[in-house]
Amino acid sequence: MSDGPVTAPDPQGRFPGFAVLRQAPRWDELTALTIRSRVAPLAAPRFFTTAEQATARALVGQLLDQPRDDLGVPVMEMIDARLADGQTDGWRYEDMPEDGQAWRDTLAHLDTDAKERFGARLGACADGEQASIIQAVQDLGSRDWHGLPAGHVWSLWIRYACTALYAHPAAWDEIGFPGPAYPRGYKNLGVDAREPFEVRDARPAQDPVRERL
Amino acid sequence: MTAGVRARNESAWLLPNDGTRTNHRLRRDMRRFADDDEVDLVIVGCGAGGSVLAQRLARAGWRVVALDAGPFWDPDTDWVSDEAGSHHLYWTDPRVIAGADPVPLGSNNSGRGVGGSMVHYAGYTPRFHPSDFSTLRDDGVGADWPFGYEELRPYYAAIEQELPVAGEHWPWGDPHGYPHRPHPVGGNGELFLRGAGKLGIEARVGPVAIANGRFGNRPHCIYRGFCLQGCKVNAKASPLITHIPDALAHGAEVRADAMVTRVGMDERTGRASGVHYVRDGASRFQRAAMVAIAGYSIETPRLLLNSASPRYPDGLCNEFDQVGRYLMVQGAPQSAGRFDAEVRMYKAPPPEVSSEEFYETDPAKDYKRGFAVQTVSPLPITWAEHVAAQGHWGRALRDYMSDYVHWACLGSLCEFLPLAGNRVTLADETDCYGLPVARFAYSQCDNDRALLAAAQHVMEDILTAAGADEVITIKRYAHLVGGARMAKDARHGVVDGRCRTFAVPNLYITDGSVLPTQGSANPALTIMAVTARAADHLISGARGGTG
Repeated sequence: MSDGPVTAPDPQGRFPGFAVLRQAPRWDELTALTIRSRVAPLAAPRFFTTAEQATARALVGQLLDQPRDDLGVPVMEMIDARLADGQTDGWRYEDMPEDGQAWRDTLAHLDTDAKERFGARLGACADGEQASIIQAVQDLGSRDWHGLPAGHVWSLWIRYACTALYAHPAAWDEIGFPGPAYPRGYKNLGVDAREPFEVRDARPAQDPVRERL
Repeated sequence: MTAGVRARNESAWLLPNDGTRTNHRLRRDMRRFADDDEVDLVIVGCGAGGSVLAQRLARAGWRVVALDAGPFWDPDTDWVSDEAGSHHLYWTDPRVIAGADPVPLGSNNSGRGVGGSMVHYAGYTPRFHPSDFSTLRDDGVGADWPFGYEELRPYYAAIEQELPVAGEHWPWGDPHGYPHRPHPVGGNGELFLRGAGKLGIEARVGPVAIANGRFGNRPHCIYRGFCLQGCKVNAKASPLITHIPDALAHGAEVRADAMVTRVGMDERTGRASGVHYVRDGASRFQRAAMVAIAGYSIETPRLLLNSASPRYPDGLCNEFDQVGRYLMVQGAPQSAGRFDAEVRMYKAPPPEVSSEEFYETDPAKDYKRGFAVQTVSPLPITWAEHVAAQGHWGRALRDYMSDYVHWACLGSLCEFLPLAGNRVTLADETDCYGLPVARFAYSQCDNDRALLAAAQHVMEDILTAAGADEVITIKRYAHLVGGARMAKDARHGVVDGRCRTFAVPNLYITDGSVLPTQGSANPALTIMAVTARAADHLISGARGGTG
């Protein structure tokens, strides 16, 4: 596999030309293998049913704004692989089923909500409709949603989704994080200090908060 | 001083100096005991406590076997420089969390394999303060230890040399210096020092168990920032490299991938006879004259409860319903500040700078005890958790995440109080061995909540003083301790001041679960020091539990 970027570096992005995988020859072999396996095509889903796949894809697409700004990260497939392998975080809330069952149940509940409000499963709803169904779950806070505490459901979804996306080098390109650092390490520590392979933020004042004010 | 350390713990000199990280010959030639050979001591768990105990007693000539449920790690072939790829370092067998404030387990507060959670701890190794040993007497909260700080002082100093610890002279608690000079700091540490300086808050570099300079055959830190993923450099201390090599060289056996399922008891004499364990799918029993459990705050109580028998129907050592209780977790709110300058907090080890200015009870406040503030420097997945906790998702989440290089991040350790209702019990659910899994119930008290708010306030002030134009905070938890605490008698705890269980004369517990209070200090150093002290007692005459 080539060490070129997964997607063409985004000239409009904050870190123009930054492509983490170009550094792969300088990583230890084991780590490089691990990261490269993430950009290789994934096997077909083994855990979710076909219907669940469509719902899960819509859900994580919304949570991570993937349909509008697709980084090419197969988040749904990465979650499916974790659940198929039973790779949980080592705990569950007492008022939630174990993670795999919790995913199945909550995807079904999302489809129920979608059919009730918009007459179609979540995956077949329009973008804005999907967003409003998901927002409604978050708005419940810790209250009940189909017999489950909405806050614990939200925690499950967002935890699995973020863990998948930010494990991927395409997401690291977007945020300016150079990924693995062994045996190379870092030489230039401190505020506004960069290594030769790090790219300066082209829009340092693009503070998400300031932009919202 | 180096010569002094080497004479009593040669671990750092037993590692290879050729760029690889594991002494394979030492492991291959390791002494091996038969199951029916009654060893002097079998230890359950090779983390901070179990490894120190194995090393100390092997050196004293005891015949020791130390079992661990996880692998005998090789940093070269088992660990990666990657966040998601380090999932296997955690205890991920099922557990159930409950209570009003359930505490997530796994990544943040568990370990698996030889080295335990110190394989992926940040590396902070502060001492407890003298005040931590008598919070009930002096502050009216928590508990008093069966012994005072002075008893631990020489063990703290000894372990600090063995790890070794780097840092500035430490002005708090019992003032002391460190064997290695402080490390240079990255952007995150720089901003902490700047903000604290502006507010007149004392902050210092250290204390971290990362050698500053070569130590034995361990190389210098390369500041790659992946301390929490297992140190591939051998620069950050964990028992895998600080105590296990010396233990092996003195005839101890480390039996990895061996899950202990129950403590064997002689029902007639009331003495422990060894441990039942599963290895390669086979149930086995290791005979031993003495048993030490070092499985940490969840698995140690679980093992005691799963060791119930006709003579001990409620679990071993549980006549007074103390097992699993007073389990503490440190409240660990994390505040981040946004700077137009690039911080790039992923560079340099996450443990850089800390302040213990707010550690003790302040009579002017309406809460007891206090908190410490430290740099934390999350990598992207953990940082996403911080951002998502603000409620962001979709475009907002991605925008915040694209801003990663501009954020500095501090964490607090708040001394949440030991409460009887915060405990491990057994759930109905079973694991792959057919054993009931642990159920951990946790609820905060008013004092805990007041500490959280105070710590958040201080961290946000420091970041703002350093120039941050926005601060965001996430409430989270850090280390566990307690669950089988030491006390003056069996009505108040599970072990005595020397880590011997009240109920079984040849059964010891040597891990974080014995701590009666937790202070605002990361517990690894104290777990090691408490164990080293217990080991000295055993060496001076308690073999077989007769002392």
